[in-house]
Amino acid sequence: MDIKTAEKFMEKLVKAGIDYGFESCEASFSQNSSMSIDIHNGEVSSYENSATSGLSFRGLKNGQMGYCSTNILDEDSIDFLLKSAMENCEVLNDEDPQFIYCDENNKNLYFSQVTDAYAKNTYKSFSELGLKLEKAILALDDRIDAVDNLSITCSTGPFLIINSKGLHSYRDSDGMSLYAAARATDSDGSVKSGSHFWIGNDIDDFDMDKFLAKFKENLIGKMGAKSCKPGSYKTVLKSEAFQQFFMVFFSNFLATSMQRGLSLLAGKEGEKIASDILTVREEPMYEKALTKIPFDDEGVLTTNKAIIDKGVFATALYDLKSAYKAGKNSTGNGFKSGSTVSEAPTNLIVEPGNKTYEELLKDAGEGIILTDLSGLHAGVNPISGDFSLLCEGYLIENGKQGRPVEQITVAGNFFDAIKSIEAVGNDIINLPSGEGEFFTPSVLISSLAISGDDEE
Amino acid sequence: MFNDSDVQRILEQAMSTTADFAEVFQEVTESKSVGLLNGKVIRASTGFDSGTGIRLLAGTNSVYVYSSDNDIEVLLKLAKEAAAAIKGNDKGQIEALKELCKTSKANVQIDPMNVPKTDMVDFLRNSSDYALSYSPLITQVAGSIASSVRTARVINTRGVNTEDTTRRIRLSVETIATKDNEKQSGRVAPGTMKGYEFINEYPLIDKTRECCDTAIRMVNAGYAPSAKMPVILCNGFGGVIFHEACGHALEATAVGIKASYFNDMKGQQIASSVVSARDNALIDGEWGSYATDDEGNASSDLLLIENGILKNYLVDELGARRMNCKPTGCARRQDYSYAPTSRMSNTFICKGESDPKDIIADTEYGLYCTNMGGGSVDTSTGDFNFAVNEAYMIRNGKIAEPVRGATLIGKGQEILKNIDMVGNDLELAAGMCGSVSGGVPVTVGQPTIRVSSILVGGREA
Repeated sequence: MDIKTAEKFMEKLVKAGIDYGFESCEASFSQNSSMSIDIHNGEVSSYENSATSGLSFRGLKNGQMGYCSTNILDEDSIDFLLKSAMENCEVLNDEDPQFIYCDENNKNLYFSQVTDAYAKNTYKSFSELGLKLEKAILALDDRIDAVDNLSITCSTGPFLIINSKGLHSYRDSDGMSLYAAARATDSDGSVKSGSHFWIGNDIDDFDMDKFLAKFKENLIGKMGAKSCKPGSYKTVLKSEAFQQFFMVFFSNFLATSMQRGLSLLAGKEGEKIASDILTVREEPMYEKALTKIPFDDEGVLTTNKAIIDKGVFATALYDLKSAYKAGKNSTGNGFKSGSTVSEAPTNLIVEPGNKTYEELLKDAGEGIILTDLSGLHAGVNPISGDFSLLCEGYLIENGKQGRPVEQITVAGNFFDAIKSIEAVGNDIINLPSGEGEFFTPSVLISSLAISGDDEE
Repeated sequence: MFNDSDVQRILEQAMSTTADFAEVFQEVTESKSVGLLNGKVIRASTGFDSGTGIRLLAGTNSVYVYSSDNDIEVLLKLAKEAAAAIKGNDKGQIEALKELCKTSKANVQIDPMNVPKTDMVDFLRNSSDYALSYSPLITQVAGSIASSVRTARVINTRGVNTEDTTRRIRLSVETIATKDNEKQSGRVAPGTMKGYEFINEYPLIDKTRECCDTAIRMVNAGYAPSAKMPVILCNGFGGVIFHEACGHALEATAVGIKASYFNDMKGQQIASSVVSARDNALIDGEWGSYATDDEGNASSDLLLIENGILKNYLVDELGARRMNCKPTGCARRQDYSYAPTSRMSNTFICKGESDPKDIIADTEYGLYCTNMGGGSVDTSTGDFNFAVNEAYMIRNGKIAEPVRGATLIGKGQEILKNIDMVGNDLELAAGMCGSVSGGVPVTVGQPTIRVSSILVGGREA
């Protein structure tokens, strides 16, 4: 399906939607082409290539927004989409008004960010890199048994949105990622696994030495890990762990969650909710981000904003519907989620502090470093903020990284934890998250409860 | 769906180089759902998705290409690309296509796809009305019904020609209790391959009341302690522990590349002798069932563990090639955008002999988990975790105060050996399992069991 064919179909569909009786309507089309390889035991064990697309229609009738989606764009589909969306309108009785939007000054946006570098993503370039990397990982240490997972993926695709109010906007993006996981066995027979990944949009930006150093730290650095004594610990959440931790509770910053009574931050915009030293910004067009997002999936221009400004909850994220309900403007955070639109963040940036990672450990003195949290889909209560999670990391002894720990849990409350951030590091990394990326350093939290079983 | 001559052309194109096996997977899925929040219908959606995946194998190497575009020329082009990418030694054979074999494990009297959404809304509204008037502590109730019909056709170069249809419907009710700054929820989410009659017969009000009671008890509960202790896991969704701590490590996805802690252990004692377990995809109308897997093999009732002895692994085609054995009919995928791999279906610990009351009475001190959240496992190390939504302390053989916020962690290979009592109250519960081939519907299950020692990660010392 080429984009021109889709565009023609969408124009026809939107016009037919008005004729069918919708007060206003909108069609959005997204396409995704991807390629990936897996390396195992010195060969390309698997190769994938794909082209998928989908069209989503939504129409407004008597204040209700009916949705329907399909991947087949033909005459029958027009009938199916309109009929199903209208039936859905008739069932709905949402009290909050919804909107099909068009900003007269920004109704024909075109933003393409796919560069020539994407063409370097070939079977040949991926397999050469992957095979070289597998060999290099195995050579890191005698105890490494196998690289169980090594995959390199790239994907690209356009997003097109057309509505009956005159909106006709296009954006696209691309990206690639590399993930490797290996397993090592210690002399006592205990097995440890470790992984690392990289994201980018130019394969030539991949720094093998840097990747291997980090990979070694993530796997070999944790050999011989055991549990530790239970108790309250000064805790350094390493960048990756802080990103996981912050994102699992991120729904609290979404206006719809607040309006539905699913966020304890409801009514707290303008109030202090976190430590003075915590600032979290959202920058959709952030210079360092791999994916820049000029407008959201409702056609609203995105804007830079602070979500937490020096500990104060500056603003929630709004889409058109939640903004209207709150008497505000959309912040340009309406993105497709399943069949409907809801708020999601683009690029998030935690303002770095002036301390290095080593200085954070020095500040902590005695405590624990958490590098990885598990079971985030289950071990948290996103509403109350309570969490209890399997994790691993290292002890902090005399202000330095000590022995590795595993088979422990960390428990506490998100809202308490962000109030007790004592220091923010400057060791920023970027990880894929929401519609974009999350740029964050490590942070030091004054106290979290660790459960463990130290036999010593 | 393609006609046979189109499929033949795709297979020929795919086999034009050095693949020894090729498979075409074609899928059509229709779905619909409604969602209510506090009695208001806030979501009603309808969807249609279709696509095709083409897989080539040469020994243990694989190539997978897929597209949502069902145009034969597009697929022939993809097949050609796949053929160019596969690295085998010789050109393989294409066997004559067998007659189409249509199957289904759905047991439907009333087709949910024909039930008006307004009926679904009326049904869910009963639950909202009841919950909101049940207690002032209940501040929110959400309900949804989602149903789908998926037809999956598999054709391969061994002549396999199958079409399996699954019809699933899932109901979800979640209530939230609020007290001061605290919010806790209670949830039920049964799923089935029966028809809408399942919804009509569902004891909605009783179950809504249970959700409300859980939410209220938990919002008033203190935090769970942190310590190693005996843990009793209730029947039904308690089986998530077996799913995580053992099931995933028996899949060829891990065993085939020797990345499982149960590698090379067939015939050995891996669990306590009171434990037997099965993976049975054949149960009519069950949420995790299917008649034919996503590689065109008949599904099976597989004995995994018998009296503690490991009997079978879950093996797909690629796993079979790596492990030098036969596939067990367990290859599954979320949809055409994933290559199939070994997955669980309805997986459970078999019925034992203890009365659940005796299991509690026999426990001096411990944790009784009556409602479980999800969990995850690292199959290379055995590290697993799972969350407990509702739990009670056991003191002197009696159920004592409710506690919240507990997570259970441990090593899969150790936990199985520590199961020391198995109840006689086997029950299954619906869930979704996420793994390399996407999210698939599964049921977990078990009778009430006791594990002599697990590390409970709570917040109180």
